[in-house]
Amino acid sequence: MNTGRTPLTAPTEARLQDIDSAEILVGIPSYNNADTVGHVVRAVSVGLAKHFPSRRAVLVNSDGGSSDGTPAIVARTAVDFQHLFIGDQQSVLHRIVTPYHGIPGKGSAFRTIFEIARRLKAKACAVVDADLRSISPEWIELLLRPIMEEGYDYVAPYYLRHKYDGTITNSLAYPLTRALYGQRIRQPIGGEFGFSGALAAHYLDQHVWESEVARFGIDIWMTTEAIASGARVCQSFLGAKIHNPKDPAADLSAMLMQVMGALFASMEQHEGLWSRQKGSQAVPLFGFPYEVGVEPVHVNVERMVSHYRQGLTDLEPIWRQILANDTFTQLRDLQGASGTDCRIPDELWVQVVYDAATAYHKRIMPIEHLLKALTPLYLGRTASFVHATQGLTSTEAEQKIEALCHTFERMKPYLVERWQPPALQPAAPDLLHHATTDAGGEHE
Amino acid sequence: MNDFINQALLKPLELLGRQLLTVLPNVLAMGIILLGGLFTAWAFGFFVERLFRVIGFDHLCDRLGMNAALLRGGVKTDPSRLVGRSIYWTVIVLASIAALGALNLTPINQFAQSLLAYVPHLVTAAVILLAGYFLSNFASQAVLIAAVNAGLPPARLIAACSRWGLQVLAGAMALEQLGIAQHIVVVGFGITWGGIVLAGAIAFGLGAADLAKEFLERRLVARSKSSRDDDLHHL
Repeated sequence: MNTGRTPLTAPTEARLQDIDSAEILVGIPSYNNADTVGHVVRAVSVGLAKHFPSRRAVLVNSDGGSSDGTPAIVARTAVDFQHLFIGDQQSVLHRIVTPYHGIPGKGSAFRTIFEIARRLKAKACAVVDADLRSISPEWIELLLRPIMEEGYDYVAPYYLRHKYDGTITNSLAYPLTRALYGQRIRQPIGGEFGFSGALAAHYLDQHVWESEVARFGIDIWMTTEAIASGARVCQSFLGAKIHNPKDPAADLSAMLMQVMGALFASMEQHEGLWSRQKGSQAVPLFGFPYEVGVEPVHVNVERMVSHYRQGLTDLEPIWRQILANDTFTQLRDLQGASGTDCRIPDELWVQVVYDAATAYHKRIMPIEHLLKALTPLYLGRTASFVHATQGLTSTEAEQKIEALCHTFERMKPYLVERWQPPALQPAAPDLLHHATTDAGGEHE
Repeated sequence: MNDFINQALLKPLELLGRQLLTVLPNVLAMGIILLGGLFTAWAFGFFVERLFRVIGFDHLCDRLGMNAALLRGGVKTDPSRLVGRSIYWTVIVLASIAALGALNLTPINQFAQSLLAYVPHLVTAAVILLAGYFLSNFASQAVLIAAVNAGLPPARLIAACSRWGLQVLAGAMALEQLGIAQHIVVVGFGITWGGIVLAGAIAFGLGAADLAKEFLERRLVARSKSSRDDDLHHL
């Protein structure tokens, strides 16, 4: 357990002494979000004033060295409460605008927010991204009230998104988290979360802040760590999520590496937990679900397939090391003839992910190489999903994702078997041959 | 007649006998050192081989791709055995040098000393070659993955260039360390690389000007077009 304190700047230390304590803390990690951060600050301010008027609250902006004046906007953004029919605001919202220390990334920004929450002895915390366009004051209530009044420790967001929005979530993070830990958290890397002060302290005590968790891996790590620590977990319906694109400098392979790296590292840490888990269960959902129009997403399938095909040719020696023989043979055999044809069925994709997790666990090559070499495979699977869901409604596409989740759960014995040291493996593993396209199986 | 026998036959024989008696302890010492060296070499080689097997050196080499490289080079012996045999032969060579030194003959002593003085250079050259080999494998794999992820068609060519470039560099450094035609190696290396770069620049700039223009246009236009076409949010 890490009992050391995360370093904070002198002005932040002084500000903490002034504020002394708070019941609620809302954190906003930011980096060059001048376009949107004002809206996010207003939504948070109004949400706190409207739904928690008597609570002592703090807004913390943890900034990664923005050059576009983001911290200044956070500091000076004002809200005219009278025009919003809010007259009984009893507590002033304190603001802390601070840079963070450590590896540049979202995770390091969160670490500073967790530290401030611990120093202020906050009971309930929430974090929201600074690039949000669709955030409303109700999000703050939905993320905090389950903690404040229902005794939950962790609130994951539940958004309505376009069927092609959040493809890492849909093809990897959600199905794998669900199959491993048995909790159906639909947006495990959503970006907006609510959590108790105790859970924030638990996060701080983990030795992960020099790993992928310090970057984009933070979201999936928070979710898996919450489940693994035995925290009470729920979801809140937030409507549509519309946000600016992520940092354009952050390329896909780096993003994928950080998310997968955090996922696989958590698998190693919590092997005892997930290897016993069978099936999955629904997680309580707060809020009022409704239909909403989502922004269209344009997809360049041709480019994705081209990347996949190049990977199949040029990365063959590396993929052969990562994947089981059967998995690679199937990938090669299924390579379509035409330019944009790419089919990676659910069973095969699950095999790829489980093989990759096992290869990570066995350290068959440098971790960064292994994770980055999976990018063309992910693009191939995404292209395959786009092919399979073209012309389908969001609900129908969601059913496809549900079927993928069932496949992940049904084929979990394959992972457990491969994960074990060779001495403990049965002589002739034959699980794959039982895999079918049927979405049912052994799901509980 | 007796004088003749004494002077012509017995005296040289006596001299030879004395000389032999003088050298005999040294020869005996050489034999003992050689025998001791043989035993030490066998014991060290055996022990190191066993130790490397126990700590999983073969598995580590397998993960680093060294086993595959050895196989490609026609070496079917596993890495632990190779290290054991290397230790064995190193001790044998050192023992032989020490044994030659035990004869206490000036030319042999000089030869042994010059051989010993060369050993550090040999070791350094071997370390440079090994490090260069591992570094080139690691770097070429990283380059290959990055190039494929960036969608560069000649990804394998770029990776191969990085591998061979590093290996040639390591080879040149090792030769320089061994003192073999130092200037020729440095100059040859400079001329070769300079020539490659110049040839590439001329070929690209003059011979394939249209191709270069078309390639750059396609890359830049395709990139901006594809980023317009694709606004996928992966997370």
